[in-house]
Amino acid sequence: MTAFMGIPYNTLVVAAAVAAVGFAAGVVGCFGVLRRRALAGDAASHATLAGVVAAFLVTGRRDLPTLLAGAFVAAVASLGCLVLIRRSTRTRDDAATALVLSVSFGVGIALLSGLSARGIPGAGGLEQFLLGHTAALTAADAVTLAVVSLVVVLVVCAGLKEATLVSFDPAFAAASGWPVGLIDYALVALVAAMVVAGLPAAGAVLVTALVVIPPVAARQWTDRVPTMLVLAGAIGCAAALGGVVASALVPRLATGPTIVLVAAALFVVSACFAPERGWLARCVRPER
Amino acid sequence: MAFGSSKSLWRCGLSAGLAVFGLATPGCRAAGAADTLPRVVATTTVVADLVRQVAGDRVALDCLMGPGIDPHGYKATPRDTDRLARADLVVASGLHLEGKLGGLLEKLAARTRVVAVAESLPQESLLEVAPGLYDPHVWFDARLWSLCARPVAAALAALDPAGAAIYEERARDYAATLERLDDELRASIATIPAGRRVLVTAHDAFRYFGRAYSIEVVGVQGTSTDSEAGLADINRLVGLVVDRKLPAVFVETSVSDRNVQALQEGAQARGRTVALGGRLYSDSLGAAGSDAATLTGVLRANVATIVAGLSGDE
Ligand SMILES: [Zn+2]
Repeated sequence: MTAFMGIPYNTLVVAAAVAAVGFAAGVVGCFGVLRRRALAGDAASHATLAGVVAAFLVTGRRDLPTLLAGAFVAAVASLGCLVLIRRSTRTRDDAATALVLSVSFGVGIALLSGLSARGIPGAGGLEQFLLGHTAALTAADAVTLAVVSLVVVLVVCAGLKEATLVSFDPAFAAASGWPVGLIDYALVALVAAMVVAGLPAAGAVLVTALVVIPPVAARQWTDRVPTMLVLAGAIGCAAALGGVVASALVPRLATGPTIVLVAAALFVVSACFAPERGWLARCVRPER
Repeated sequence: MAFGSSKSLWRCGLSAGLAVFGLATPGCRAAGAADTLPRVVATTTVVADLVRQVAGDRVALDCLMGPGIDPHGYKATPRDTDRLARADLVVASGLHLEGKLGGLLEKLAARTRVVAVAESLPQESLLEVAPGLYDPHVWFDARLWSLCARPVAAALAALDPAGAAIYEERARDYAATLERLDDELRASIATIPAGRRVLVTAHDAFRYFGRAYSIEVVGVQGTSTDSEAGLADINRLVGLVVDRKLPAVFVETSVSDRNVQALQEGAQARGRTVALGGRLYSDSLGAAGSDAATLTGVLRANVATIVAGLSGDE
């Protein structure tokens, strides 16, 4: 593969990776938003930094799969802590989330600055996981991210019925004998996986935006879950590609924040112009 | 948000007060029975090497940051504060290289003699990166760095008047060594075919080097290692590497080589194999006992790496 229609190789690689991640993150994020667990993803994403640094310290390697594996372990661990705190201390959801988020992020930052002050050889570049480093993705990285995204989307498709039921009517699902708790954990694990896959694109600080904004925007347009999933995926994909194009055209423009801004713009458009729930529609038909 | 990992020397320029290190009275030495030698603390390995060259064994030299440590992001530990407080003389590099130590050194200057060697250089010899803010990596120009030997000798003489003549002479010798090295390095770089005299590195620590030895310097991440390199920057560099037929690009130990890998892959896709020319020493010397434990060793090693990387066939 050289350049396709004059698009440079690196742009193609990054665009392919980011488009896949943006789509899958949008799809999976729908369940987090519907289950009102959007902030759990935020806690998980902030915890990934500690996982990345710890993975480097333990293995001494800094290839993407190793670091992302560390990030995933940390994300799952933080979600485990979240559940534990909520159950055992009767702390409210938001307080428990804030606690886990700040503590795990603090650990990550402390490890990172400790590394840079001690001058451990080869530690350079870990700080890129704070804000992302899309432009530096190689073809192997892109394949890794695309495979993770594909698997996540396939899992969602396979469990669509269960996930939808649990998201909308957990009480009914439980009464009908569904393992609600298990399905819930599976959904949260999928969100964690996408948060980790989104790390190179947006970094630990911004990656939640990928699993929150597209679903929220898609929700404006539809009440049907399958439609919402596809729409959220498309919006996530479009935002990701928008960020890549901007970063390829304008020098010294970081991709991650641009992706988030494009996603936010798509949300604003949705919130204004969606046919039923949009601001414009409600103005025209005030009786609704 | 402020992160410890900040390597942005330009951002560290906020503490403008650092530029003026007070020249207070030399700290009075508590001349204990055992330690009669003046205690000198140097901030970085590069500065410690300079002090060692000028002072020889007449001082007890302590280096704050060991080999491999990035001075831009270094924060003092309580133990460091203690080491600095007990010093008779503190020698820093200056020009905001020790960004996070700025406040501490400034405070220290009220009690102890603090010399920032790079700030003694004539202003017109410095590279300005933003109004009033200068690139601190002056040691990559051997001739420029040779000018820093004399201020060190003067500070040492004030501390230890009996050794004044010795310091003076050693400083002169070392400056002469650096000048000879300067000629040697220039001659080496000149052996690289003119069109290929381009040094592509992970970040921008080599501007003085480029100016002194006539080699174009391009940093993947530009001036700051904090900012993410955008796709446009990677694509532009792939173009540069392919168009100029550069056989190699270089990495630094302290900076991520991810960007450089992406760069290599992009060039490969356009039919050009670009080698990893090797790791360059930038803000820190090599481990004690190695060839790169002195600045002269580091400069020779860097130039050998660059010449070997860029001179190969096509
Ligand atoms: Zn530097």
